[in-house]
Amino acid sequence: MSINDDDLYNQPTEPRRKLDATGRSVGASGMGNTGGMGAVPVGAGSARPGPRPQATPTGPVSGQVIPPTPAPASRPQQGQKQGRQAMSRRRLLGASLLGIAGLGTIGVAGGLALNWAEKDGFASLFHTAASNAQTGHLLRRAGFGASPADMQTYKSLGFEGAVDRLLNYQQVSDDALESRLKALNLNLNRPVDQQRWWLLRMAWTQRPLLEKMTLFWHGVLTSSFRKVGGKNFFMRMINQNQFLRAHAFDTFDNILLGITADPAMLFYLDLTKSRKNHPNENYARELMELFTLGLGHYTQQDVSEGAAALTGWHVDGLTSRYIPADHNNLVKHYLGQTGNFDYRDVVRILTNHPATPWFLARKLFTFFVYENPSTDDLKPLVDSYVESGHNIGAVMRTLLLSPQFSSQKAYRARIKSPTEFVVGAYRALELQGSGLALPTMTTLMGQALFDPPNVAGWPGDKVSALWLNSGTWMTRLNYIDLLLVRGGATGREQAQPLDLQSVVNANRIDSPEKFVDYYASFLLDGMLDSDRRSLLVDYFSTPDVSRGGGQITLTSGKSYPLNRVRGTLYLMMASPEYQLN
Amino acid sequence: MRLSRRALIKDGLLVVSAGMVMPAIFSRGVASARAMSLEGSRFAQAASERTLIVVQMAGGNDGLNTVIPFTDPLYHQMRPTLAIPDAQVLMLDTRLGLHPSLKALQPLWEQGHLAIVEGVGYPNQSLSHFQAMDIWQTLDLSGNGTEGWLGKLVSGWVDQDGHPFKALDVGVQTAQALQSISTPVPTVASVNAYRVYPDPADRDASNARMQALMKLYSSYPKTSPYAALLDTTALNAQDGSSQLLQADATYKPAVTYPTGAFAEGLKILAEAIVQGLGLRVGYVTLGGFDTHANQQATHAALMQTLAEGLSAFYNDLDAHGKADNVVVMTWSEFGRRVEENGSLGTDHGTAAPMFVLGKPINKGIYGEPPSLSSLDSNGNLKYTVDFRSVYATVLDRWLGASSKDVLGGSYGSQNFLPQP
Repeated sequence: MSINDDDLYNQPTEPRRKLDATGRSVGASGMGNTGGMGAVPVGAGSARPGPRPQATPTGPVSGQVIPPTPAPASRPQQGQKQGRQAMSRRRLLGASLLGIAGLGTIGVAGGLALNWAEKDGFASLFHTAASNAQTGHLLRRAGFGASPADMQTYKSLGFEGAVDRLLNYQQVSDDALESRLKALNLNLNRPVDQQRWWLLRMAWTQRPLLEKMTLFWHGVLTSSFRKVGGKNFFMRMINQNQFLRAHAFDTFDNILLGITADPAMLFYLDLTKSRKNHPNENYARELMELFTLGLGHYTQQDVSEGAAALTGWHVDGLTSRYIPADHNNLVKHYLGQTGNFDYRDVVRILTNHPATPWFLARKLFTFFVYENPSTDDLKPLVDSYVESGHNIGAVMRTLLLSPQFSSQKAYRARIKSPTEFVVGAYRALELQGSGLALPTMTTLMGQALFDPPNVAGWPGDKVSALWLNSGTWMTRLNYIDLLLVRGGATGREQAQPLDLQSVVNANRIDSPEKFVDYYASFLLDGMLDSDRRSLLVDYFSTPDVSRGGGQITLTSGKSYPLNRVRGTLYLMMASPEYQLN
Repeated sequence: MRLSRRALIKDGLLVVSAGMVMPAIFSRGVASARAMSLEGSRFAQAASERTLIVVQMAGGNDGLNTVIPFTDPLYHQMRPTLAIPDAQVLMLDTRLGLHPSLKALQPLWEQGHLAIVEGVGYPNQSLSHFQAMDIWQTLDLSGNGTEGWLGKLVSGWVDQDGHPFKALDVGVQTAQALQSISTPVPTVASVNAYRVYPDPADRDASNARMQALMKLYSSYPKTSPYAALLDTTALNAQDGSSQLLQADATYKPAVTYPTGAFAEGLKILAEAIVQGLGLRVGYVTLGGFDTHANQQATHAALMQTLAEGLSAFYNDLDAHGKADNVVVMTWSEFGRRVEENGSLGTDHGTAAPMFVLGKPINKGIYGEPPSLSSLDSNGNLKYTVDFRSVYATVLDRWLGASSKDVLGGSYGSQNFLPQP
């Protein structure tokens, strides 16, 4: 658990996996977390680079009898017409705003100097210069924050246009991302490479909501590489991830059928070990408790009867197979219904159970909007679920266009998750590195992807305050330092500091105020109180006693010490505001 | 730093030397120390040298294969593949014995430093991991509690000495048992990661940068989202990291700890105790106990990790002359089903034993092992000891805190610790 080098930058670049006395491998997160429920430790770090798998696997593989193979995520169509009308009005407005607060020319922070608490939320800002706040908020929740380019692109679409672009992701090409990821030659059977692959995907994608949605599902319908059948089959995690991505906006029925048949899940919750005469309860219980109904809507009898109904599954390499002969054919009494049920019946009964849409709506709302939603907050989502035939895309459209989503209550209402923080900063600074440092960083902040603490996923997804403690806070600061001082490179790599001089030149930054405003415009939505802005400007402008660490020359011709310029950006990203999502 | 910090506190006022960041938390701490001593607070009476270490075994530990009723024929009957053969059991008395991989705990038993509380549970036990963990940690039997019982304890303690390490959680996320609204608990993944690195271009090792940052935190409007959490977390980290690093520089473990995150975590706790950081409650988690399938090898490995880690921890403290000051208590959210399932594993169960170990302990087996012939309707054990009576015992008899106040009721006690 110790990092041996004194220097952060020489940290091991992958989650530390050690063999303990028992020969089990123990990861950096293997203890601090509440411990994977079923997390049977496997030879994690010792995974040999096996035959190199393709960099971008082709979706889910799930045996012959895969449930009704869902068509590629159906595109939500509802409400598009009205959306378009409304949009054009806002697009017009957005365009006019660009002239005033366009990115890369001048910042908006100082000019606005808004104290959000004194405003009445987006409503008042919707038609004014606050569209940085609106766009920034949307991209943080439905993505991983904004780079300057993102801010420009999405702002110009207006809010509803931006939502359309995020939901209709098939219309946006992500070819550049795919070829960049391919060029990294990652070994996708290796957990640390899996994490890099996904974190960089999130940082570079032009389909941010698709990745965010996949992350949401990963936290709900979760599995861990520690228990998916051993180190030769870690790839099952990537296949599960590709399934969740391909069906992120599909019907909940298709998602549950697919995840039930998913080889990683079949191992993770032991369904592949369940025998028709001795059903294993693990999947049956968590399917109801954590994936669909929640506690209080089922009995122990439903668990055991459900377990019997779910029997029949086997895993064969990277595929799964349902063998009717291995299915328990007795009559089951399950959630008030009686019949010779199988997994399809279980999924049908669950997706049509009255508790399910409320359970799912609460999960989505908490993750994307704010915590402790009211019944009124959830009702429109529940209605969408029912009216659309359980279509998640429709529910997400309702959620993103809801007044609650754009309310003051939602603004900065969650602590950024480690993934949101790590990816968000990488994306905002437009870094192009190898991403080698990212897995360690997210792990030390409390979120090792593909390795949730237990079958309930990350507690921070539900209560975001849990992401923050003294240890994770310092890791956040150190990560910012790593990005600025070394461009995100680890101790093994050639380091290149973030090139601030080029940023200054390209954006014609000619004063400390401009520097702060420029970065505040996309890092902090330009929402920076004037006192706090002054503090940053003062820091920038205060001469150091001793010099020699390099200089940054503003376009005015005046030079400032590098540490002050860089330190100002560090302060902005280490600030309380930037910890919030 | 520790001493100078204390010296700086005079009459409730904190004098801060030039260049130091104002640790506002301490001025608050002093104020509340005053207020509480005026009130004659029950928490303030806590003895100061005693530490409780809590070990969470996450996932539901199979109690029947941990402390084994090896003479009971039903045990062997209901576990045809998973029962530990009699010859391998480490016998404690004529009816109970330890899992063979707990061998490292045997010397502690023989020396009289190990107690076992049998049959621990609560009424209407939940078979849900998460509800059960909530109940064990918040004591709210509905499973809707938020404040942890240890969080309530440590936030009630005053901070007379300026020690941030009243409690320390090893890991990346603070355990629910330690959650409190007012006092974020330092959470340390590794000593080396528990610090803020400077920008090499800063000639003053980023002192000015850190001061400016703390200003951004202290001036963050109190009405803003998460203001209190952000502010106290930053202060907590800022002060705690320097103390921990200073302690780390001179700490030499007296034993070789096993490798692995669990033992590494115990080593951090030992360091905090040996170096006098003021630790009262330490917390570490070992996960992976949810053995629904192929249980045997997994469970044996976990037993070994647990025993060897705790043994090293005890020996390290003993060599440093601190073993008299420390009590370790283990818990898991539930035990497992008596009858094994068809996957060479066990499903979710109920009552299970807890270990309590340390020099101050009265060796023995407390409580009653639940009967294997009188199970509940789900085939699970009926508990014989309320977990809150175990908590009450460590609170009243070890930490000098009022269990009635912390637990919100009277739950009796066990005799593994002497009456104070």
